[in-house]
Amino acid sequence: MDKEYFRPKTVSEADYLFSSGEKRCIPLGGGTVLSRSKLEGVCLVDLRDLGLDRLDLTGQKLSIGATVTLQQLIESDSIPPQLKDVVRRTASLNVRNQATIGGYIVSAGGRSPLAIALMAMDALLVWHPTEEKQSIGDWFTLRQPAGYWINSVQINLNANLSYQQVARTPMDQPLIAVAICRWKSGRIRVAVGGFGTAPLLAVDGPMEQGILEAVDNALCSSGDDWATAEYRREAGVVLARRILSETER
Amino acid sequence: MKMISFMLNGIQQHWDVPEGETLLTSLRKEGYFGVKFGGCEKGECGACTVLLDGKPVNSCSILTVQVDGRNVQTIEGLGVHPDQGWKKTAGLHPIQQALVESGAIQCGYCTPAFALAAKSLLERNPDPSEEEVREAIAGVLCRCTGYLKPVQAILKAASRLRGEEDEEEAFEGESLTPLPVDWPSIEPERGRGPSPAEDGGKQTLVLPRKIVYMPRMVVTPEARQKVLSKIGKPELKVDAIKLVQGKPAFAADIEKRGMLIAKVLHSPVAHARIKHIDVSKARTLPGVAAVLTYKDIPRVVYSTAGQSDPIPGPLDTFSLDSKVRFVGDRVAFVAAETEEIAEQALKLIEVEYEPLPAILDARDAMKEGAPIIHDEPEYVNFAESDPRKNLAAQIRIDIGDVEKGFREADRIFEAEYLVPKVQQAHIEPHVVVTYWDEDDRLVIRTSTQVPFHVRRILAPVLGLPVKRIRVIKPRIGGGFGGKQEVLIEDVAAHLTIATGRPVLYEYTREEEFIAARSRHPMRIHMKTGVKLDGTITANEMRVLSDTGAYGCHGLTVTGNTGHKSMALYVGDGPYRKSPNIRFYADVVYTNTPPAGAYRGYGVPQGFWPVERHMERISRELGLDPIAFRLKNAIREGELHPFSTAWSEGREPRPEIIQTVGLEECVNQGKALIGWDQKYGNPDWHKVEGKPYLRRGIGVALVMQGTAIPYLDMGGASIKMNDDGSFNLLVGATDLGTGSDTVLAQMAAEVLGVPVEDILVYSSDTDFTPFDKGAYASSTTYISGAAVVKAAEEVAEKIKKRAARMIKERFGATEVTPDEIILEDRKAIAPGGNYVTLAEVALNSLHHTDQEQIMGIGFHFSPVSPPPFAAQFAEVTVDIETGQVTVDRLVMAVDSGVIVNPLTASGQIEGGMTQALGYAVCEEMVYDQQGRAREKDLVDYHIFRANEMPQLETIFIQTYEPSHPFGVKAVAEIPMDGVAPAVGNAVLDACGADILDNPITPEKVWRALKKRPSGSEN
Repeated sequence: MDKEYFRPKTVSEADYLFSSGEKRCIPLGGGTVLSRSKLEGVCLVDLRDLGLDRLDLTGQKLSIGATVTLQQLIESDSIPPQLKDVVRRTASLNVRNQATIGGYIVSAGGRSPLAIALMAMDALLVWHPTEEKQSIGDWFTLRQPAGYWINSVQINLNANLSYQQVARTPMDQPLIAVAICRWKSGRIRVAVGGFGTAPLLAVDGPMEQGILEAVDNALCSSGDDWATAEYRREAGVVLARRILSETER
Repeated sequence: MKMISFMLNGIQQHWDVPEGETLLTSLRKEGYFGVKFGGCEKGECGACTVLLDGKPVNSCSILTVQVDGRNVQTIEGLGVHPDQGWKKTAGLHPIQQALVESGAIQCGYCTPAFALAAKSLLERNPDPSEEEVREAIAGVLCRCTGYLKPVQAILKAASRLRGEEDEEEAFEGESLTPLPVDWPSIEPERGRGPSPAEDGGKQTLVLPRKIVYMPRMVVTPEARQKVLSKIGKPELKVDAIKLVQGKPAFAADIEKRGMLIAKVLHSPVAHARIKHIDVSKARTLPGVAAVLTYKDIPRVVYSTAGQSDPIPGPLDTFSLDSKVRFVGDRVAFVAAETEEIAEQALKLIEVEYEPLPAILDARDAMKEGAPIIHDEPEYVNFAESDPRKNLAAQIRIDIGDVEKGFREADRIFEAEYLVPKVQQAHIEPHVVVTYWDEDDRLVIRTSTQVPFHVRRILAPVLGLPVKRIRVIKPRIGGGFGGKQEVLIEDVAAHLTIATGRPVLYEYTREEEFIAARSRHPMRIHMKTGVKLDGTITANEMRVLSDTGAYGCHGLTVTGNTGHKSMALYVGDGPYRKSPNIRFYADVVYTNTPPAGAYRGYGVPQGFWPVERHMERISRELGLDPIAFRLKNAIREGELHPFSTAWSEGREPRPEIIQTVGLEECVNQGKALIGWDQKYGNPDWHKVEGKPYLRRGIGVALVMQGTAIPYLDMGGASIKMNDDGSFNLLVGATDLGTGSDTVLAQMAAEVLGVPVEDILVYSSDTDFTPFDKGAYASSTTYISGAAVVKAAEEVAEKIKKRAARMIKERFGATEVTPDEIILEDRKAIAPGGNYVTLAEVALNSLHHTDQEQIMGIGFHFSPVSPPPFAAQFAEVTVDIETGQVTVDRLVMAVDSGVIVNPLTASGQIEGGMTQALGYAVCEEMVYDQQGRAREKDLVDYHIFRANEMPQLETIFIQTYEPSHPFGVKAVAEIPMDGVAPAVGNAVLDACGADILDNPITPEKVWRALKKRPSGSEN
């Protein structure tokens, strides 16, 4: 298999690999996807030794290093329980022990619970070396890297996340999922998923009014092999309504 | 290549590895075969689990170079067999020991992964809750156990590692005490049994405050009369210790010098002729040893169905053909030095297809002008098959006067039901290794349920006589019918013939979905005549069965759909004596992957419509659904209504059913689940604080069969060794069910020795007697009877010699062999004089009138005694979204005598779990080009440990007189009732009447919209 592997010990060493342009470099997190990739002629650059496996809490801002595993999120005291529950639904323990947040985001699709939740939380991807902050929504829309690799993922903890989904079984992929994040400022962000290649943003605004209609609108073209749009629209509105009424309580 | 250094099982390693190689591949190359290949692409099965720095990860999803500097642990580093001669060892790890003792090992393919996941958990959390254990092992898929016993084992290991003493075992001596028929309703905590005080002082199992490891048992008086020492005991599985160590027991766990890797080019189109195929580029690729197309191998028509001769179905398959008939059909075979080269070679094969119109809906198959899928002149018909009509098989059975029955009915109920195509999803994929041995005989080492059928069926395909083929069946990592198929053995064999070299061919998970077999999807029309008092006057089932592109098992699977499910309800009164039953079926070809055998063999397809239909009728007539069923159900001493009409394509012969424990099943199951407190109780149906949730309870009654009468034959041979131990050689194939163990128990029972003195070997066509293989719920019954006969022959010889030895040694009066009993490794005369079996063995082999004490036995049966069962389900339905959560499954099984309660209950728990998937999530769907939607175990979701409902099993032990120990089968019946019981529970919960499984949220949501107002609870 025509693949090369490097595990740089320093950021500058890694920078050199990406900047030299000699090879097509791809950042490697846990390897859950890239280890089985049929990509040929690529150079996998393992970020493991670059110190990106830390969670840093500054005020209400949590910075999650790109190589933090999904299981680290569950075990961290900084992660709110609602988000931990979403992570648990996202992958089994074996995968969580290995998959990194950076790699997960890059490969996540519309049926990934954590991606839907992060979309609602308006997570920011901080790219290296540009330091550019890219909203997760932009990433899912464009899939255009703003640097060599994602250095960290930033989320604000001054917002409350609620997530609900419908699936065939308790741990199956969602057929329809709704995540709502409320900031103390009154801002509400609603993401929907369970279909397609990426979660959809339904609402980002200051008020609750119109949320159900917005969810309904966002799901207008959500029909696929797994569920009709008609179903997803109605079930999505039900989930959104429940979340709103629960958070009101 | 890159040099890495890492710790492996505590030893520093320095490996030079390809940079793109996964850890799974590297470990297996180095002989760490306890790390298993599950074929998945997304790490969803977890069979390849290793501990990386103490945490479970999937070795298939990590590059070997990534573990540089890290610490890896495989099962080989955990514990070892406690007895290694003079060498002292620490023995098995407590986790391994607990897995062995708790019956947590069935096929054993995922066992190393469970053990490692458990180790990681217990090192971090010595006192985990059940929920935490389930979460810890949820990364490992198991298709056999239903997870209950692995969870119990890990909790037991945790307790021991904390230094706690074992609590009293549930299954000891008095614990076999039969339960009263009016066993009170009990509500044990999940995984825990009631204390004696909690059961009102009634005579129940001894279940102190401890984890319940044993199923509940109810013993009928007939069964109770037999006092046996080994039968009915939870003996450890004879293969458990090797499986828990991850020993190289499976087909792919073998190293052969120069072994090539095989790959198959699969068709991307549903129906086409191969207009042109050019393999020249592939053949010249360095490292490619052979590329074969239909032009290179003999054109021999055959059937891949692993069944007895003559195969009851059409011959319609070629190893390779100039026509492809489904997306996934074979186009070419490649053998190369590595998997990567083989895959590269596949890309270099140029194929020009001439597309043909495809049939993707079974309803189109027999329409005028439909494309003919099998137009090959070599096609060999069986019975009513007619390839010009795309008809693989046809069944027309009329019992009694059905039209008269309908005329006599007060009401006629008609409805159409659908059942989906589903996958066996055994965790070990199909896998085979072939090679020429030193005698130029072709050896086929394969994961098969039917080694003898493989040899017989492949001989003409390969141009070899049967005697030049040897089929070895090592351990099987689950089969469930999927390996009752001669599916891939020919691929490797052709390539070995072409190259002269060993060849390994192993399916990926995607190949399992696109190119293996599945359960036949069916469209089933029910018509039932009923009197207002609930008497069924006539019952009709018309089936359109989709066999896919080839007709393997089409006739017999579909025949069983009617044969079992339509036999259960014969009617009452005069109709009981002369039931009116019609079963018509058309089995048609379509351009979809072929269906085949899958545990239950057509019967789950039958019981979905029958049991949904019975529920709907009883509700419509205002009858109690259970009373209505029992009123019409077949009873002891009655003729199996289909026994005179159909017998798997062979001559039918009348059969009286001797044992029916159905009513007991209902009584016990109702008590355990609390039916009377819940059914019809509006308060119970509501969930406090959640007005959008509704609870429901449902039931389904089912029956199955035990072997195929007058056909299935199994053989066994037993020989005595110098130390008084015995080699038991059986052709029967233990695919994880525990059959090797129960066969050993039967031999041990007759020979008066512990099970550990019976060394079981199965199976090898060169060494073991013939056995039809593992299917049709036959092994315990058929092969078991053969073992008993062989053991009786051995026992007779032992007794004869022992009588002489006792007389010589003790000078006693004449002792006749008939007076000798075999017990505790001794042959004991009346009065207590005895010789040990070791002494008998030495005497026979070395001292006097030397002989090899051995016996052979074979058995086939004129009857197929049906097991019966009552399946109960509790669900919670979200009436706004349609989401269904199955909370609890209780199955009470009329099982005959249970040989091993641990292995038998494992069968029930695992079967219910598979059937639960059939109920709510499993299905295989195709697009308009015939391409599969499900290609992995993510989209094709099977239940994980952390989402299981509560599972409970009750065995009603009747005594089946046609077997030496009174056994019937339990292997397939748990597949039959879960889906309709869940469907009926959903109806009970909210009025959603689902006619096609799986019961998905959107179907429930749509049904709720259609329900008549006021029908909700």
